[in-house]
Amino acid sequence: MFKPFENISKRNAGIMIAIQALTVLLCWQFSAKGLIPQPLTIGEALGHLLTTKLLLDNILVSLLLTLKALLYSVLITLFFAYLSVIPFFRPVAQFVVKCRYLTLTGLIFIFTLLTTDGSQLKLSLLVFGIVPFFTTSFLSVIVNIPRQELELCQTLGYGRWQSLYEVIIVGKADQVFEIVRQNFAIAWMMITMVEGLSMSEGGIGVLLIKYNKYNDLTNVLALQLVIFGLGLCFDYILGAMRKWLFPYTRF
Amino acid sequence: MTSYTKEEVLLQARYLNLAFDGKWVLRNINFCIRDIVRPGIQQGQVVSLIGRSGIGKTQLFRILSGLQRPDSGTVEISQKPVVAPSAGEAGAVIAGSMRAVQAGDMGVIFQNYYQFKWRTVHQSLRLAARQNKSLWGVEEDAIKHYLDRFDLQDVLHLYPQQLSGGQQQRVSIIQQLLKGSDFLLLDEPFSGLDVCVLDKVVELLLQVSLSDERKTLIIVSHDIATAVAISDTVFILAKENGQAGSTIVKEIDLIERGLAWEKNVREQKAFADTIGEIKACL
Repeated sequence: MFKPFENISKRNAGIMIAIQALTVLLCWQFSAKGLIPQPLTIGEALGHLLTTKLLLDNILVSLLLTLKALLYSVLITLFFAYLSVIPFFRPVAQFVVKCRYLTLTGLIFIFTLLTTDGSQLKLSLLVFGIVPFFTTSFLSVIVNIPRQELELCQTLGYGRWQSLYEVIIVGKADQVFEIVRQNFAIAWMMITMVEGLSMSEGGIGVLLIKYNKYNDLTNVLALQLVIFGLGLCFDYILGAMRKWLFPYTRF
Repeated sequence: MTSYTKEEVLLQARYLNLAFDGKWVLRNINFCIRDIVRPGIQQGQVVSLIGRSGIGKTQLFRILSGLQRPDSGTVEISQKPVVAPSAGEAGAVIAGSMRAVQAGDMGVIFQNYYQFKWRTVHQSLRLAARQNKSLWGVEEDAIKHYLDRFDLQDVLHLYPQQLSGGQQQRVSIIQQLLKGSDFLLLDEPFSGLDVCVLDKVVELLLQVSLSDERKTLIIVSHDIATAVAISDTVFILAKENGQAGSTIVKEIDLIERGLAWEKNVREQKAFADTIGEIKACL
């Protein structure tokens, strides 16, 4: 267990993680002082939150917005990524990749002018924030396509468009799920920020801002636990969907 | 000796040169593959390009397959079946029947039998069959025919990652056969195979070569004994008199030596002599 590259069974790994988590929680429980809430208090707050309609409603608002943003982002990413194999459009794709260095905060006013309501503003900011990261990941998949995949197409007599369809559109479809899975955290992180821009529709970000405003750290951490759990759920669901839709990824 | 004639030129490589970073890899490569005709027998050609590791075999393989352009020189293939010349004209190149090779003209079996990992065997074979106009409408029958012949019925719905090396090799061969090319280029088909599998592969390739009069197998290998045992012609790729870049230093006609199309060829003295002769050239 303490040797490099040692293989351990799933059961032992489970026990090890449980002990580590328990140790951290116990240390936290007995060392927390002042404003920092203890794990048990957070647990109680979480229990209370879970029984309220408030949390469910806000989670649904955030989830809907995230899923919408993910869908649009994937479509835009695929558009730019597929075009990137055509030399004329490559600079556009590369520019999109570089856009990840722009901060959303500096663009809020421009987006406010370009959109008609708060909902559109949040969605467009999220999409603008996510697309450069998705495109970066997908372009790296395209750049790293083994030469043999394209050469096999050539030897089979495929034309260039047919090769694009086979190797990139069909062959890398599973990677889209993997990229969404890997970058989901970015979307989840941004949502709390953009929801603060238009609070009338609610959302988990709005809840967080409200609790933060009143220094209600117990509920803030309870909400963080909810966000963490939802992230893990999405990670699992996207992984499972990838395996189900693309069985060859299992081997 | 079995009677035969060498007739139409099927492939002609002329003055091929290739350099990387100013260093010659291939220099002045010239060779020609002709249709071997045996009375009463449907007989394709099996040609081996033998050379030591790192001599440039794979580069020549890529040039022959049309995947890489040489710095100079041409590879031409017979464009379509032409009326065979009479015996008196045997060996004459028919003007206008040759054209430069392009990617897709040759069936190519890569060393690691690469397949699309997202396609099942059936999907891969179907895609290949669709590329062959003569199989339109009868793709499934053709796939079944080859799967039966190559003993692969059980792997139809598996992915390449689920197949053994031998199965992957056979699927690659079927895929390229379904595509319908007269030429089949194989890069090191014998490497890493155990003795039992090796015999099967040799038998399989011979089977393929007999499937069509114009079917031409070009095997690039450093396994001298196996290549000689299976081939009718051997070209030796080596460096010449200390000159930079590899070239074809010798062509050995194994038919003339009675070493082609024989079952127990390895037991013949001429076989051992030929192996020694090739080794001396490398």
